Parts: sequence; structure tokens; C-alpha cells
Amino acid sequence: MTERPPIKWSYMDHWRANGPAGPYDQWQSKLAMKRFLQQVAAVGFDAIDTFDFRIWQIFEQYGSVANYQEFVQEQGLERIVNTFHGVYYSPDRYAPEVPATHGTILEDFQRTLDMWSGIQLDNIIVMPGSRYFDEAGVPDDGLKHAADIWGKVGELTQQYGVNLTCHHEFYAGIRTRDQIDRFYSYADPRYVKFFVDTAQHCIADVDPVDVYEAHHERVTGFHFKDTRHKDVNDDYRMFPDAEVSATTTEKWFYEMGTDEGLVDFEAMMRSVRDHGYSGWISVEHDKADKLGGDYAESTAISRWYAKNVLDGIYTEEVAR
Amino acid sequence: MSDVRWAYAINQWDTNIDSFVRKREHERAFKTVSISGFSGVELTAESFGAWEPLGTPQQLADLYGSVEEFGRFLASCAIDAVSSYVYDPSVGFEVEMGRGPDPLDPAAVEQIVRTARWFADAIRRLGGSVLVVRAAPSAWQTGPLSDDQIGVLATLWNTVGAAIAEDGVTLGLHVDFLSALRLDDGIHRLLAATDADTVGLAIDTAELAIAGIDPVALYRQHADRVVHVQLKDARETVDDAEASTPHAEQFIRTEGGARKILRWFFEPSDERALVDFEGFVGALAEHGYRGWIVVESDQSPHPAESAMVAGWYVQKVLRPILEGTRVSA
Repeated sequence: MTERPPIKWSYMDHWRANGPAGPYDQWQSKLAMKRFLQQVAAVGFDAIDTFDFRIWQIFEQYGSVANYQEFVQEQGLERIVNTFHGVYYSPDRYAPEVPATHGTILEDFQRTLDMWSGIQLDNIIVMPGSRYFDEAGVPDDGLKHAADIWGKVGELTQQYGVNLTCHHEFYAGIRTRDQIDRFYSYADPRYVKFFVDTAQHCIADVDPVDVYEAHHERVTGFHFKDTRHKDVNDDYRMFPDAEVSATTTEKWFYEMGTDEGLVDFEAMMRSVRDHGYSGWISVEHDKADKLGGDYAESTAISRWYAKNVLDGIYTEEVAR
Repeated sequence: MSDVRWAYAINQWDTNIDSFVRKREHERAFKTVSISGFSGVELTAESFGAWEPLGTPQQLADLYGSVEEFGRFLASCAIDAVSSYVYDPSVGFEVEMGRGPDPLDPAAVEQIVRTARWFADAIRRLGGSVLVVRAAPSAWQTGPLSDDQIGVLATLWNTVGAAIAEDGVTLGLHVDFLSALRLDDGIHRLLAATDADTVGLAIDTAELAIAGIDPVALYRQHADRVVHVQLKDARETVDDAEASTPHAEQFIRTEGGARKILRWFFEPSDERALVDFEGFVGALAEHGYRGWIVVESDQSPHPAESAMVAGWYVQKVLRPILEGTRVSA
């Protein structure tokens, strides 16, 4: 039997299923949540990640974040590891590149962390830049302003024992390798961390292994997911969100282990191992239900791949 | 360690003649079954040529190259074995979707034995051990079985059981909720008339529960004859009168009868309905059951979800009961 590596697998909680009334997600009812969590636990995931905009639903259905985590644990999962901070950025009220909105951003994170303080998270994940629909992307000053506010936010989150970590969507303003490198050159490594999403980078024509290796010292987590397409048609400029509005590609994301996937997960895992990363890797395949896909099946296949392919890569090398 | 192996039935994926044909679909189902904690799969004998590629040993070989190549494909998906084939003798394999012989016809023995051995040979080569057969026609076709009819069936299954024993495969008589064996103590009479060494009983929890038969009690009564277990749940029962509706397979099982039941079968889970799974598995442990336990949903709008939810229930609740490792809450 293969020795399990010092990696634990968490599932980022995108989910849809079809019920008698049509599609629903796990927040529809406690029963739906229980079945979702049981499926994630059954295939061997250790934990889940979530979105922090679910907070009001959590309060309504479970009473508190701690109660919700207890419900998660009752289904055999360890905990909630990370949360994704989903905000629609707008230069008039909330945008990392616009200093006039930085006060609002800081207040938002203070409030958010207070609301989540009932459990201990590892990371709060953000999109570090607004969407820029022109080819130029975020101007250099904007990168500096963004680096500045995330440094302040990161200093705040660390007071709660939580890392502020940045996730680069292929359609976002900080998407190219040059933008990513410049952003991190301006951002304080103590407070601004990096969360590698293998598919997002791949779609934006950024090699996920290479960008990880360049910035591995500040990497605090991963979304392991796959894609079959790079953005070769400037789809990243599509309003409002190329993940759901691109006309040339109706489905961008696939579970790792998919046929025809573009991400080299074996190389990624070797690099993760060789750089001594241990701890949590999150698996994600948002929009897996597009084009007839099925979240449950994608979740099973991705975990099969982690167990039967990636875990072995990690441990074989350690054994040498 | 336990002498029990856990499998999942593939029937919920294979819903029609033009579905579940691609190897990629097989691969995704097998990987889902494997990662959900099962080491085997149960196949169903189907007759529609190459459009039912898992339906017969010939079709396995035609798509995968040989039965052994199919076994290697399963292994590449981390599945160890085909636990069993489910075979209804009324299905004919000479022509696509053909009618097979009538098991109540004494002249049918030779043909049914030949077909049974065809499947048993594949089961053996794929690491499995049980041929599950539909033991009797439907209640609406025969009414209560006479002693003569029980005798004909006993001769048939004694012959089949002895024949496939030579292949190292055990025969399990399966009773579904429309079976004539539900009437007039048919199960007990047929078991009494057959050879205990070569003819066993396959317990299907949901089919029995729908028929109003307590699977736990039936198991306890015949534990020494039970060679195979299929775990699934149900929420509605069908009484003898409804089961005797002409063409009940169509009008009751498929169409749902007067109550318009849309779905008869469900995966085992902690939302259990008619079946007391914990009591049943506790009884298996008590009697030292050895063999396959096949978990199934049989029908499911979400096959992967059903396999995963059932996998959770097996890992967290049922296996600990069977292996004596359950911790009380």
C-alpha cells in the first residue's frame, strides 16, 4: 500500500445537482448539505473550502460558523480550511487599484474576519486586481496600489492567524506572467501570499509549474483543476466574467485527471514535493456541470487521480 | 480483517441500449466506484449486441479484446473483480433483446445451463464468484407455484448449480418483488427442494422489502444458504394483488402502477426507508457471512451521487458494524 504523503486534500465547495424542482446547490437544505459532505468524505477528501459570502446562509441554517463546521465534521471531514472572498470590484466603491476605496476594503475585511472568527481558517483567498477589459490590463500604479492594500489587509488577517492569499483568474486584471511577477515584486511577502490555480494560469498561458517555482516561498495553497482550452481569442475581455460569458468556450474547467487536460499535474506535484510544500491542496472544478458534466462524478474522478497518481509521485521520491 | 468484499452494481449507469457504451463512460463509473470504497462491480446480463458491451462475455471481448483485457481495464481503474453477473433466463441471447427459455419448461434445462456456464466462466476469469439468477417467473404469469412447478425449478437450479460449481462459481437464487416466489411460501419451498451444497440464496434487501418480506428475518432463517447480498433501499411496498397485475414488469415496475411510483429503488444511506441496513449487517456479522456484498441503487437520476453517498454509509456505518469496530455515539 502506498504511504500517504504529507499532503491533505480539501474540496472547494462548488456544487450543483438536479432535484425534482430543477438544479439546486448544497445550501438548499441541511439534507442537501449532508449528502454533499458525505460524497466529498466518501471519496477521501479530508476537508472543504468555501466562500465567505455564504455567511448569512450559515447563520440562518446553522446558527454560527462553528456550528456549521461541526456539521461538516459530523460527516467525517476535518474542518473548513480556506474561504474565498468573492466581491464584485468597482472603481467607484471597491477596487484594489483605487486608493480612495481602500478604507472600505479594510473595513470589509475587519467585518469578515470577525464573522469567521468562530473557526480557524488557513487562508482567505482574494482576486488581487479588478477586471480590466482592455488589453493593457492594470497600469503599473494600479499594481502598486493593489500591492499596498493587500499588504495592509494581510497584516490584519494575520492578527486572526489567517493568510491573505491571491488567486489570479484568467480574466482578471493581474493575469499575465509579467503582471503577476510585478505585483509580487511590489507586495510585502510577509503579508501577501500566493494561491496557485493550475487551470486559471494555464488558460492565461502562464505555466503553473513555472510561476509556482518563481514564487513558491509565498505560496500558501493551490486549486488543482484542469482545462482543455487556453484563451486564444481574448475571451478574458468578455463582460461580465469570461468564465460564464465567453462565446468560444462554454466550459473552461475540468476535474484533474480528465482526458485531454492541459495541466501537467505530475510535474506540478513533483515541484510541490521538491519545494517541500506540505499541508493542504485544494481541488476545484467550478462549472463542472456545464455541457452535461456532473459535479459528483468530477469530484470522484479528481480524488481517484489524487490517490492513484499524485500521492504516489510524492511518496516515491521521498522514499529514495 | 473480514471475509466480506464490497462491490457496486453497474445497472444504475446502464439505463438504456444506447447509453453507457463508450469505454470512457465505463472508466469514469469504475473510478467512481473504486474511490467510493468498493473493490468490485456487479454486471447484468443484457442482450443487445455491441450496444450492451458489458452485457455478455462475448461483448466484453468484442469491445475490450478479451475477457482478460476487460479485467486489466478494471484493474487500471483500481477495481479488483467482477463480483457477479445477474442473469434472467427469460432473456435470450440468440437475437438482440430476444426471449429466452421458460424456466418452468423441463426441456429448457440444457439451454439455461449452457448460458449459465457462459457467464460463470467469465465471472471466474474476472475474479468473481457468484452467478445471480432470477429464480422464477413473475407472479402474474403463474400465480402461486404448484409443487410440480417448484420441482421443475429445483431440478433446473440443481443442475445449473452443479454445473457452474465446476467453474468455481456459486449459484444465488434472486427473488424480486414481482417474483412468483413471493406467493404461498415459495422461497422456503424452493430452498427446501434444492441442493444446499450447490444452490444458494441471494438476498436483495429492497426487492424483498417491497414484497413485504423482512430481509433481516429471511436472512436469519436461511443464513446457511445465503451466498450473496445486494443492499438497496425502497420506500413503497407492493402487495400480492398488485404484483399479480398482468404485465406487472411494465405497468407496475416501469410505469409505477396506480400510485404512479416514479422510483422504486434507492442507494443505502442514513436516510434509510424500508430497509434496516444496520440490523441486516449486524445479522450478517452474527452469522459470519462470507462473500460479496453488492451495494446498488438500481435506478438513480444521479449515479455518481448514489455510489458516493452509499460509499459513505458503508465506510462510516456498515463496515464498522461488520468488522466489529463500530464506536457507539
